[in-house]
Amino acid sequence: MASSTILLPGETVPHSQLPESKKGTLTLGPNLRHLPQAPPASISILPTSSGLLQSDAKKIALWLDTPHARYAPSVGDLVVAQVHHSSTETYHVMLTPQTPYALLGQLAFEGANKKTRPKLEAGDSVYARVKAAGRGEDVEIECVSPNSGKADGMGPLKGGTVFNVSPAFARRLMMGPGKGGFVVLEELGEKLKFEVAVGRNGRVWVESGSVRATVAVGRLLVGCDEGGWGVEEQRREVRRAVREV
Amino acid sequence: MSPSLALHPLVRADGSATFTSNLYTVLAAANGPVEVSRRDELPEEAAIEVNIRPSSGVGGPRERWMESVITSLLRSLLLVHLHPRMLVQVTLQITAEPSIKLKRGVADVALLPTLANAAFAALVDGGLPLERTMVAALAVVREGEVVVEPTEKDLVGCQSVHAMAYSMKGEMLLTESTGRFDLELWEDVSERLRETTMAAMAKAGEDEGMEGGAEKGEPWLRHALKENVVKANAWREGG
Repeated sequence: MASSTILLPGETVPHSQLPESKKGTLTLGPNLRHLPQAPPASISILPTSSGLLQSDAKKIALWLDTPHARYAPSVGDLVVAQVHHSSTETYHVMLTPQTPYALLGQLAFEGANKKTRPKLEAGDSVYARVKAAGRGEDVEIECVSPNSGKADGMGPLKGGTVFNVSPAFARRLMMGPGKGGFVVLEELGEKLKFEVAVGRNGRVWVESGSVRATVAVGRLLVGCDEGGWGVEEQRREVRRAVREV
Repeated sequence: MSPSLALHPLVRADGSATFTSNLYTVLAAANGPVEVSRRDELPEEAAIEVNIRPSSGVGGPRERWMESVITSLLRSLLLVHLHPRMLVQVTLQITAEPSIKLKRGVADVALLPTLANAAFAALVDGGLPLERTMVAALAVVREGEVVVEPTEKDLVGCQSVHAMAYSMKGEMLLTESTGRFDLELWEDVSERLRETTMAAMAKAGEDEGMEGGAEKGEPWLRHALKENVVKANAWREGG
């Protein structure tokens, strides 16, 4: 993992950075492309953006991370979506601004049937999973797990507020507690009672009973994203925020 | 003086950059891929929309012309086929310009490299798929001498102004000139600008070995982009 190759768009990925593969296959992730028409002797992999080259030796995968790029839906991602309007069988929801609306089936909730389906209004938020996302087709999301038919924490988000963060920060938050060099939520959890739902699309929903605490949590998240705080700075800001609440 | 580039000054845009050259400062914001109106939709590739906002007043025919030049430049940089029926929107706001009054034709060409560099940096910051890295630069011919990256004073009473952009492989992507010059002079200018722009993208360590890199200027573009990436990945070290 500890590669420090920073590439610019159109530079060739150095041969030494390609992970060794027994099967002879290599998986290319975001922001890399392969030029098949290049002479077969040389593997020509070009980055399409500037970033740090990441590789996974186990999965034989190679990708490039971009911090601010617009969220591109892929199947299985958990997202925080906002309902824009509803039609007879679907809700039209917004994942990112200025992109076509994603579709959420009115019956794609746990235990929902025609009589018991949740009634969502324009502006309501839902925590959902991307069900289908392909090139040139509508994005579909759902609020039930496809295996168990259970909600698994997904569904309408009642109360609270949604905060916008960068997609890279949202990915970092989703790594789980103790990873990604992020301690704000754990530190805050010792002092305050609150609930968060992190969406890969760069939206974080926060709810904590009181408006003051909700805003404090949200502001810490946004501040950490925009300010790039280190662990010590995060602890200091959390202490300050807790004093003010 | 080497130009300065700051990435991501705007929080709400997908990608943004502030670029300052000897003459101008431009704030660029890039959004994309976003939904496109039916009228501008292209079935097999992304549409590109460039908006230029002058430092005062509203844009006119000059801005429209510059927009068309920058649009065609960006089309050669972006992998437009990856986002069919979508739009890439670039807004360029001029925030500082020379204090002395320049001839309009000269001013238009002199502004192009700054616009191009700012737009490119915003696209990189926004993570839009790019085919190549490029740098644009300006040169003037004054009393028979080629001056690369001229100052305000060099622009007054110059014979010709040349704006050019080169990719990392040395391909010419943009050339706009105005004034009196012949082909021989233009070739001389293009060679000088090629060296300058290549130096801005040169790899560290390589550039001492290559034809005395130090006098051609430091690799400012590589430095700025690298710094941005290091900043974004700083948490990996600590965690």
